[in-house]
Amino acid sequence: MFVVKNAWRNVIRNKGRNILIAIIVAIIAAAATIGLAIRQAAVTARETGLENTTITAQISFDRSKAISELRNSSSSSDSSDSSSDSSDSSSSSSDSAPDFDAMREAMSDKQLTLADYQKYAKASSAVKSTYYTETASLAATDDFQPVEDSTSSSSSSSSSSDSSSSSSGSSSSDSSKSDANGSGDGQQQPGGGQGGGMGGMTMTTGDFSLVGFSSDEAVANAENGTFTMSDGEVFGYDSDSDGDVIISKELADFNNLSVGDTITVENASDSDTTYKLTIVGIYENSTESSNQMGGPMNSTASDPANAIYTSVSTLKSLGLDSDSTIETTDSSGNTTETAAAQLNYTYVFSSKDDYETFVSDVADAGLSDDYTVSSADVEQYESSLVPLNNLAQFALTLLLIVLGVGAVVLVVITLFNVRERKYEVGVLTAIGVKKVKVAAQFTFELLVVTMIGLALGAAGGAIASVPVSNQLLAAQVAQQESQASSQNAQFGRDMQGPGAPGSSSSDSASDSSSSDSSSSSDSSSSSSDSSSSSNTTNTNAGRQNGPGGMMGQAVSYVSNVNATVNLKIVGQLLAIGLGLTLVAALVAVVFVMRYEPLQILADRS
Amino acid sequence: MTTETNETKPILELDHVSYSYTKGGKKVLRDITHSFRTGEVHSITGPSGAGKTTMLSLISGLANPTEGKVLYNGKDLAKQDRYDYRSHDIGVIFQSFNLLPQLTVAENIMLSMDASGKKFDQPKKELAVKLLEQVHLPAEYANERILHLSGGEQQRVAIARALSYGPSVIVADEPTGNLDLGTQEDIMSIFRTLAHEQNVCVIIVTHSPEVAAASDEVFELAPLRRR
Repeated sequence: MFVVKNAWRNVIRNKGRNILIAIIVAIIAAAATIGLAIRQAAVTARETGLENTTITAQISFDRSKAISELRNSSSSSDSSDSSSDSSDSSSSSSDSAPDFDAMREAMSDKQLTLADYQKYAKASSAVKSTYYTETASLAATDDFQPVEDSTSSSSSSSSSSDSSSSSSGSSSSDSSKSDANGSGDGQQQPGGGQGGGMGGMTMTTGDFSLVGFSSDEAVANAENGTFTMSDGEVFGYDSDSDGDVIISKELADFNNLSVGDTITVENASDSDTTYKLTIVGIYENSTESSNQMGGPMNSTASDPANAIYTSVSTLKSLGLDSDSTIETTDSSGNTTETAAAQLNYTYVFSSKDDYETFVSDVADAGLSDDYTVSSADVEQYESSLVPLNNLAQFALTLLLIVLGVGAVVLVVITLFNVRERKYEVGVLTAIGVKKVKVAAQFTFELLVVTMIGLALGAAGGAIASVPVSNQLLAAQVAQQESQASSQNAQFGRDMQGPGAPGSSSSDSASDSSSSDSSSSSDSSSSSSDSSSSSNTTNTNAGRQNGPGGMMGQAVSYVSNVNATVNLKIVGQLLAIGLGLTLVAALVAVVFVMRYEPLQILADRS
Repeated sequence: MTTETNETKPILELDHVSYSYTKGGKKVLRDITHSFRTGEVHSITGPSGAGKTTMLSLISGLANPTEGKVLYNGKDLAKQDRYDYRSHDIGVIFQSFNLLPQLTVAENIMLSMDASGKKFDQPKKELAVKLLEQVHLPAEYANERILHLSGGEQQRVAIARALSYGPSVIVADEPTGNLDLGTQEDIMSIFRTLAHEQNVCVIIVTHSPEVAAASDEVFELAPLRRR
């Protein structure tokens, strides 16, 4: 009691010094509060950001790994040459490579079948739902021609206005490309262009892409972006609706078709086979595809306008589903048997945790290392967190520095304080106050002052934390964006050769999605499709596009952080404050214990 | 703590006490034996350097003798809690007063009361004012800062503080050292009243012959070098 009372009196008495200490502590506390708040906000954002949004994921075959394995197994030195399915154009010499087919075959064997995908879907209870699309290519017939050239620009002009400049860039290159190759490519099989180098696996040859959807969910996540029906209805999914398709408005107008008409298309690899399809609806793309796959591909089939949508059941009935095989002959005369359609299987999860569960579950279910489970949603989310993570790192550094400096300052102040009050210690001990009590009194005084400073600092920090952390985050985002854009510029130059400016339109497309996470998750789900298609369709151009697309994908960074101060932070702050006070008090205690009253008083007199 | 002791039985005894500041160093005090009884004013005199203040430190429990024992009520001080002894049983008036300058007069007095941990039947502030009266200081000094007081006034405050918790021994180091004759006499009268009326053992270290003459018993320390 004596200690507390005396300490309190001393706190009141030495206002100037104690206010100074309180201010210092308040500054430390405010900085610590902001640091802690930022860290907590980063953690919370990380944990809860994907908690309530659905996540889509794909299983994809890790080709580069498989290729390198194959390359290692084939000892020939020129295999390195032939393995250049990579983007560099020296791969034109690949025709002569002897083990080329072997590798291609080996890799096509590795493609997962629909049954495989479904097996993995069942393997994990975390999967909320699944959907898939199959994409086959069809060739034009005399009375049904693909939309070419100017149509692509019209499609982009119908889409959002802010992408007009960039999309016009892509469309012009698009059109010039198709100009260059268009005539020769029309009926031509895979070998037609660069992109066809790897032959059978590409689906973007032909004139049309016939996309089969498994469910409405798949349709909603159509890779060419969402669309609206301008006429008719979407096909059904059971076998009753076999042969029902919907086509784009451009295509319908181009061919002067309307709902109820029948179209005839050829098999892309075999001109003797024709299919009759019934148009049950005409759709209009309402959003630009976030990833214009068509950019680098010199095929009209990749033009969103030339996409014919139908059900997977139709594809199956036509023998064009992924379980069926077709024989293709590439320009060098090699014949390869490949799946008739590319399967794009998507797993939907209700949260990131489920996604992670799924990743481990499929590994348990026997998914080999050659395959990777990836989620564009998660990846995009992770990259959107980069500035926040940087900020959290910065906050931690700030916190440590502030605490270090704070501890030193507090210790020094206490040191001087105790030395200055040496006489007081002498008098107190001389009149019979035990040293322990004196030390306790000093500690208590310090505690009172630091707690006041802590309270002020926490209050100030709480007020400042949200604007300050957002300010800091904005700086981080700006830095990240300039970094990304410089990278993008670099890659854009590198990628110029094959003409892959598609990324620029994807840029603007995802830019136009607003920065808040809910809508960005929307856009990311659509973009996940596109990137997944680049993974699973395994086109050469897709791979070329891959890195460019990755870079170009303007991640809508988390630009707002809810760095509010809550009880947990106050608790942490209190712990920090107590810790610092105890460290400083320890110094005081050591000094007080060392003092001998007689010595002090003798020195004095 | 017995405040009432037999006239004949000494409350404080020095039993063959020697003291040196450093171990094995020069002895400031050598083989001192003396007894102090309550109800008397004792004077310790001697020239400068004879060890007067050192002897006072031993008595007040601020230092332990190198040899011999200091007995309080027959018990060895070295074996007691000397902080308790200082805060309860002995009131020390230091040569330099050792009042806390940042505190008021009343606060200084009350600090000692608080430190003693004793219970008081009156509010401490009232007791402090009464003590000021006892040392002939006006009551309005209670809220005055120590530094605003003169040396003589500070001396009285120091005495008041030493008395505040009712110790049975009062030790004063040169209490009249730098005071004028009138004040000196006044202060000595206070000590005499304490000893004779409140049965306190008053021990005064002084080199003033007047103070020595005014006390009941004088213990003279011889200069060290001559021994």
